[in-house]
Amino acid sequence: MGLIQRTIEAKGIPTIGITLQKEVTKRVRPPRALSLRYPFGHPLGEAFHANQQRTILLEALKGLETIKDPGTILEPAYVWRRHRFD
Amino acid sequence: MTYSGSKMKNTPRWLDEFTNRLLVQLLKHFPWLAERWAKSHRFVEGEGIPWAPLRKPLRDSCIAMVTTAGVHLKSQPPFNMEDPDGDASFRAFPTDADRTDLTITHKYYDHSAADRDINVVLPIDRLRELRDERVIGGIGPTLYSFMGHIDGPHLKTLMEETAPEVAERLVREGVEAVFLTPT
Repeated sequence: MGLIQRTIEAKGIPTIGITLQKEVTKRVRPPRALSLRYPFGHPLGEAFHANQQRTILLEALKGLETIKDPGTILEPAYVWRRHRFD
Repeated sequence: MTYSGSKMKNTPRWLDEFTNRLLVQLLKHFPWLAERWAKSHRFVEGEGIPWAPLRKPLRDSCIAMVTTAGVHLKSQPPFNMEDPDGDASFRAFPTDADRTDLTITHKYYDHSAADRDINVVLPIDRLRELRDERVIGGIGPTLYSFMGHIDGPHLKTLMEETAPEVAERLVREGVEAVFLTPT
């Protein structure tokens, strides 16, 4: 996914991606990422947990405004199925 | 990503399928296995980091989504799951497509949660809510979907053909920022 992201950014469109594999992301080096320690298949969290999905999406989108250093990986400390998204 | 198990040759199909399903569940429940794998695997490592700053605030920007979760319309051909090196093609479909018309073809991750609620891998409803609340300026007309399991000769196709094609289409559609989701 990071390779596709880099290609889009190189065309002039700012990008941010979720990663569930920080080690891979650190090597592929996309411009902006938000890393979660969530299981594969759940980049936005759990099914029908709208608050969780919204929080993660919004956090990532805000990164488009706030991240100034290429290669930054945001790491919100959401613990899978433990963090409360109210 | 690539699992070495899927590359076994001359093994019965049922064994390949079984091995793959076992790997998918193992990696889902023991993510540190994937981290160990990542540290030992060779990747196309990035040289430098491309950078395009956001030109306008989010509330004025048109956002599009790209996923590698293997989502597509039921009416579109599925991704090729038979080739161990994956499938570098993409599917494009309207952002306002009906949720019941979408499906996922991807055997390298457990998409049972996303089958029940597509927002788990592609947060279409959440993005619409943010647009309706004027948190973002708009949504790109098209969703682009790949399958995140591309290796070998298909990497060249991805990097030289399909990924640039999607990038060009996003530019033509006036998209001002892209949110990407993995599997």
